[in-house]
Amino acid sequence: MEKILEVNDLHISFDTYGGEVKAVRGVTFDLKKGETLAIVGESGSGKSVTTRALARLIPSPPGRIKQGEILFDGKDLAKLKEKEMQQIRGKDISTIFQDPMTSLNPTMKIGNQIMEGLIKHQKMSRAQAKSRAIELLELVGLPNPTERINQYPHQFSGGQRQRVVIAIALACNPKILIADEPTTALDVTIQAQILELMKDIQKKTESSIIFITHDLGVVANVADRVAVMYAGKIVEIGTVDEIFYNPKHPYTWGLLGSMPTLDSTEDSLIAIPGSPPDMLKPPKGDAFAPRNEYALEIDKEMEPPMFKVSDTHYAATWLLHEYAPDIEPPEAVKRRMKGFAQTGAGESKEGERP
Amino acid sequence: MTVTQEKLLEVSNLKQYFKTGRHSVVKAIDGISFDIYKGETFGLVGESGCGKSTTGRTIIRLYDATDGNVKFKGEDVHGKKNSQDLKKFNQKMQMIFQDPYASLNPRMTVMDIIAEGLDVHGLSKTPQERKQRVEELLERVGLNKEHANRYPHEFSGGQRQRIGIARALAVDPEFIIADEPISALDVSIQAQVVNLLKELQEDHGLTYLFIAHDLSMVKYISDRIGVMYFGKLVELADSDELYKNPLHPYTKSLLSAIPLPDPDYERNRQRVEYDPSQHDTSEEPEFREITPGHWVSCTSKEFEAYKQELNKN
Ligand SMILES: Nc1ncnc2c1ncn2[C@@H]1O[C@H](COP(=O)(O)OP(=O)(O)OP(=O)(O)O)[C@@H](O)[C@H]1O
Ligand SMILES: Nc1ncnc2c1ncn2[C@@H]1O[C@H](COP(=O)(O)OP(=O)(O)OP(=O)(O)O)[C@@H](O)[C@H]1O
Ligand code: SF4
Ligand SMILES: [Mg+2]
Ligand SMILES: [Mg+2]
Repeated sequence: MEKILEVNDLHISFDTYGGEVKAVRGVTFDLKKGETLAIVGESGSGKSVTTRALARLIPSPPGRIKQGEILFDGKDLAKLKEKEMQQIRGKDISTIFQDPMTSLNPTMKIGNQIMEGLIKHQKMSRAQAKSRAIELLELVGLPNPTERINQYPHQFSGGQRQRVVIAIALACNPKILIADEPTTALDVTIQAQILELMKDIQKKTESSIIFITHDLGVVANVADRVAVMYAGKIVEIGTVDEIFYNPKHPYTWGLLGSMPTLDSTEDSLIAIPGSPPDMLKPPKGDAFAPRNEYALEIDKEMEPPMFKVSDTHYAATWLLHEYAPDIEPPEAVKRRMKGFAQTGAGESKEGERP
Repeated sequence: MTVTQEKLLEVSNLKQYFKTGRHSVVKAIDGISFDIYKGETFGLVGESGCGKSTTGRTIIRLYDATDGNVKFKGEDVHGKKNSQDLKKFNQKMQMIFQDPYASLNPRMTVMDIIAEGLDVHGLSKTPQERKQRVEELLERVGLNKEHANRYPHEFSGGQRQRIGIARALAVDPEFIIADEPISALDVSIQAQVVNLLKELQEDHGLTYLFIAHDLSMVKYISDRIGVMYFGKLVELADSDELYKNPLHPYTKSLLSAIPLPDPDYERNRQRVEYDPSQHDTSEEPEFREITPGHWVSCTSKEFEAYKQELNKN
């Protein structure tokens, strides 16, 4: 499939009083036309910083792209001038941010906020923009849009605000939609509607989506491929089936193990122990080693490279080295995998998905 | 966990209407009643905009109720007048907010944010004690003590939410209203925080009103669950019972929409849509008890049908 975006060895740091926060430390991936790539990973692992950088929305200072390329449409976005970037941002690459409150102007009516862009970029008349705004709000499932366009953000619930932000991002049928936790504030029924809507629009326009979420259920629903981030790096990447049914990195095991299932009765969830590393002083070796019960001696010394599992599946863990001892994933993950195997899921289904 | 039969919170016929124009009113909550027992976790779920946050905010008196009342330990919360009483009440009842961005003052360090409650209620005697308590809280919620001198904007969404949790815990409250406290956290930290909330509950006999839409987490943490739809409670039951025997069609629709971490299941998922016009309209629905502890909003005709449905199962 055609690549629409290629990110190579991206490094992003923030200069703070405490020193240099190395938020993103060498991220490489590509995005294909029409696909949905989900990015998962612990809070603070650099998901938002990575994707904000794609739209060049890292505040600078304190942030800076230290190294790396972001290739889109024959251009390296990492080096583009702000003026050129403005042509791309919103039109080709559109973003839905994690925090709906800060992406909406509290002093401006909702309708005007949606119409503003349509008038400016799409050259619509006010009347056209208004009816398009109402249509968009209807599309994202907001009741009474005709009345609600005259209200202010504080009169909307958290989830309603988020739907407004989604409407604004979808306004222009972007080539790449970056959605950072777009449905986290929504209940499951509205979430399901929005996910269906995004998939629908994607099918019609062949747009590509980068979808950041903590919810592995949502990942299973939307993703073609999944990238797992830890401490500023991608530690595992593969098709959605490879990540859920054949995970290789201990951090991915931890993630899958910490989801309660609806029939779980355990007294406590399996939490990954410890806290994420302080990115002011990223640890030497494998950053996950201090929290990884499966860590090998070498993990504390040397950072593992990406090992190839299949043409589409890579993981950065020494466990995949040919001399590494055979280590089984934890019971909870195996149970999950077995449960899936029983239902026939996860067996190789080549050709069904990209 | 020891759930008692002692009512900590009694909410009766609570209403919160917002005026949104000269002639228009939003009935954000429209006559809801429920009790929360000491030591339990009461989960509140429902569609976005159905009034969950407003319920929490009205209980803790961020808004004055339009009608109805809230009793905390038998005392009328909304009748409190003198500032001494209010202050005491504020310490006992804390809220963790949905939006980790808007709820932290960007000009304060994490140390001062977390210690604010300690200062207001005079809970730490020396600066050292204050610092120690804050560091303890930071570690408890999975952050480092080095984070204390930084500002909120230097943190990721999830990290900010943990700061909010530490702030709520600082004053040793008895009752915590947690408005989607973990929605902004990734699953591994969610598990840590949920385990932490459970631990704190056991150690200190805390009681929670847990507002959320992640239904697998709600089921996991809650003893009982109330389902809201458009400002009203439509179903209330023990959490296992609710998942095993959902009766109200909205609850069924909600349960059918839970995304599960299984790509194959997701590819074949069948969602049940809720159509409010499917209800019997021959009379106003009332909240009725179908089996002990399992309440559904329904008409008398529906009541009979639900009872039969349960007998079949
Ligand atoms: N403006 C900033 N100044 C200093 N550090 C920052 C800034 N913005 C982000 N960081 C740091 O960069 C790292 C990555 O943050 P990022 O927001 O990308 O995390 P995330 O993976 O999106 O987490 P979450 O799931 O909680 O949203 C974190 O350690 C964060 O503290
Ligand atoms: N200050 C306000 N003024 C006017 N209307 C309001 C106000 N606050 C909330 N509302 C309205 O009241 C209703 C309930 O809002 P609330 O925030 O309680 O919903 P919620 O159930 O918490 O939703 P979510 O899951 O999206 O957070 C919504 O329709 C909202 O638009
Ligand atoms: S119309 Fe809206 S989405 Fe499209 S380019 Fe303009 S601002 Fe961006
Ligand atoms: Mg983020
Ligand atoms: Mg809310």
